[in-house]
Amino acid sequence: MSTPGTTTLRRFRTAAWLGWQIEANWVDPFTFVVYSVLRPLATALILAVMYSAVAGVATSAHAFIGFYVANAFHEYVTRILVGMGWVVVEEREEYETLKYIYASPVGIFIYLWGRSTVKFAQATLSMVLILAMGWVVMGLRWDWGMVRWVPLVLSFALGLVAVVYFGFLVAGWALVLPRAAISVNEGVAVGLYLLCGVIFPIDLLPRALQALALALPFTWWYEALRRFMLGRGASAALGRFSDLQLVLALALSTVLLSCISVWGYHALERRARRQGKLDQATLF
Amino acid sequence: MRTALEPTPIPGAFALNLRATWARMYVRVVGSLREPAWIMSDAVFPAFSMASFVLLYRALGAPASFEALAVLGGILSTYWINVLWGMGAQLYWEKQSGQLQLYFVAPCSRLAILTGMAVGGVFMTTTRAVISIAVGFGLLGVHVQAFDALQLLLVFIVTMAALYALGMTLASLFLLYGREAWHVCNALMEPVFFLSGLYFPIRALGAFGAVAAGLVPLGLGVDAMRQVLLGPAAQGLLPIATEVAILAGLAVVFFFLARAALEFLESLSKREGRLTQRWQ
Repeated sequence: MSTPGTTTLRRFRTAAWLGWQIEANWVDPFTFVVYSVLRPLATALILAVMYSAVAGVATSAHAFIGFYVANAFHEYVTRILVGMGWVVVEEREEYETLKYIYASPVGIFIYLWGRSTVKFAQATLSMVLILAMGWVVMGLRWDWGMVRWVPLVLSFALGLVAVVYFGFLVAGWALVLPRAAISVNEGVAVGLYLLCGVIFPIDLLPRALQALALALPFTWWYEALRRFMLGRGASAALGRFSDLQLVLALALSTVLLSCISVWGYHALERRARRQGKLDQATLF
Repeated sequence: MRTALEPTPIPGAFALNLRATWARMYVRVVGSLREPAWIMSDAVFPAFSMASFVLLYRALGAPASFEALAVLGGILSTYWINVLWGMGAQLYWEKQSGQLQLYFVAPCSRLAILTGMAVGGVFMTTTRAVISIAVGFGLLGVHVQAFDALQLLLVFIVTMAALYALGMTLASLFLLYGREAWHVCNALMEPVFFLSGLYFPIRALGAFGAVAAGLVPLGLGVDAMRQVLLGPAAQGLLPIATEVAILAGLAVVFFFLARAALEFLESLSKREGRLTQRWQ
């Protein structure tokens, strides 16, 4: 007899397997991997050439490695968070199967979470390749002795939780949007790239946006990853916080965002049902 | 005055194609104004990327000319996105929505339709680019010195001609594609931004950049426009006149390539039964 835990695990595994089939069955695995890493590697190359173009004349070029590292970890946001919004678009618009997902016992959160595992794998591969390219090709080195593994792993895990839960909210948003959900999904990742100071310190943002940035766990996440991996952060404003405060702020904002996301998904889903948008295809 | 029973006069080939061009352009322009979420995402999100790159230069303490360089690159990125998704992948969209066959039963030239799509695309993207201009030169406070507006307009027009002619070629190639169209378009985003030096002087790529600029007109176009706006601070690759001449040549080459590719791939996809095949 199956317990609720094993049932959930089985549903999760099925959704993950389906995600892999949908994402990858259009081509052989090698080509799939090549296509998967082209975009992130090109973005890393853009950053690297921007850096090399100004390295001789810029006054704070030494800060670049922190931005480069955060850009590598932003892959998780780009892939998982956007990917969850995409699941809704694909299921509703392209395959017209969203209604069957709702009619099945899988549970939408388990389904979305399972489908995002292939994105997690892609993001991990991209992140490792970006960091390896920085280390080997661009000479962006860090001292492994300075890495504080426990807070780094803890921060990394908290950030992933925030990404997955925010992904639920993005998926909920996609439910009420027409076909424009395609580019709105992508826009969320780009917005977070700007707002959370991935490639620059948030001190450069206007004050109102800084306040918004501090409410988002990703801002704390990138700063924690930089601090625990390289030994220093990027922002003077966040530099005032101790390591413990930084991790606590990340944990607190993650919990808050997760609660808002679950509540937000259900609210948006109710709205979509009322407006008849849950299965309304507007693209093809 | 013509009565309702009198047949509509059949226009000449030129007039017919002109009307087809106008009709496709009309759809693109008017249709693009009907979806507020789409307008917002097309206009605002590219400005976010551009702002991030400008602030990276600022964080590194780079000279101000690099910020202007990134702003212009960000503005032109919106055109490349439109070329890829609005031109290259358009026939794939049409196939998915079951409308592609209508293009092929229409009496006009397919190139007339693609031209309308291109002209409409340039217009639509220009209206969206206003946001990037406002963010770059207004909100972020990036400045450029006085420049020759007419020269800038000329370079812009030639760049767009080359870029959208490439888009027409891509649209022809994508006739055969199914889901690969998505992935190919995705794969041609950031890699082309990199090869075109959108956020840094293309000269920084060395000989590799020169070769890349010869393949994708975006790099030469952005380089020429930067030279008009920034002068020597743009660190241009070639003199403006040379770049404009190459761009004009590329526009002609891509246009004829699009025509040949369209004829060949239309016949091939009909033979293989893939012209109207959805969800493949």
